[in-house]
Amino acid sequence: MRNDVRERRVAKGLSQADLAHRLDVSRQTINSIETDRYTPSLPLAIAIARFFGTCVEEIFHADHE
Amino acid sequence: MQTTSRTSRKYLATPIFGVLMGVVYLVALSVAGSPVYGVLAFGVMVAFSAALLLARRRSETVRGLLDHRDERISAIDLRATAITALAMIAVVLVAFVVQIARGQSGWPYSMLGFVGGVSYVAAVIYLRIRG
Repeated sequence: MRNDVRERRVAKGLSQADLAHRLDVSRQTINSIETDRYTPSLPLAIAIARFFGTCVEEIFHADHE
Repeated sequence: MQTTSRTSRKYLATPIFGVLMGVVYLVALSVAGSPVYGVLAFGVMVAFSAALLLARRRSETVRGLLDHRDERISAIDLRATAITALAMIAVVLVAFVVQIARGQSGWPYSMLGFVGGVSYVAAVIYLRIRG
């Protein structure tokens, strides 16, 4: 699933490790999400959206959209 | 969100289990009259547990496998466990077929297959009910 996590993280001046620490996940997981190799669970997707002050569908985009 | 103390307890579970199994091996081999092998087996399990704790400091993957805080590594753990189970099932089935082809009873592979099958059905029923 495509997403804007990398763009939003970079805009906030955070490293992958910083974001991972804030979300209580591994840096590998952030990297996998950013490179579309892993689709996060709904709770993690919501946590990511809340962290960036937006809603899930603004960050994650279904492939058919 | 988990507290730090709960997390510390969680990541110690596997190393503690490893040491406890080492104690079990030590007692079992001592009872069987091979205390030296018992001490060796205990040493191997202690070394394995210590290696896990050391690796945890350097590897995110090992850390995730031990504390289960990261959902992706937990999912990897689950899939790896399923693949391991498939390998074990294949070994049990092949060994069972080889045994009966030799005219033997198939024991203990028949029992292992039975336990595996019953466990799978029970797990499916439990997980379906739980939702």
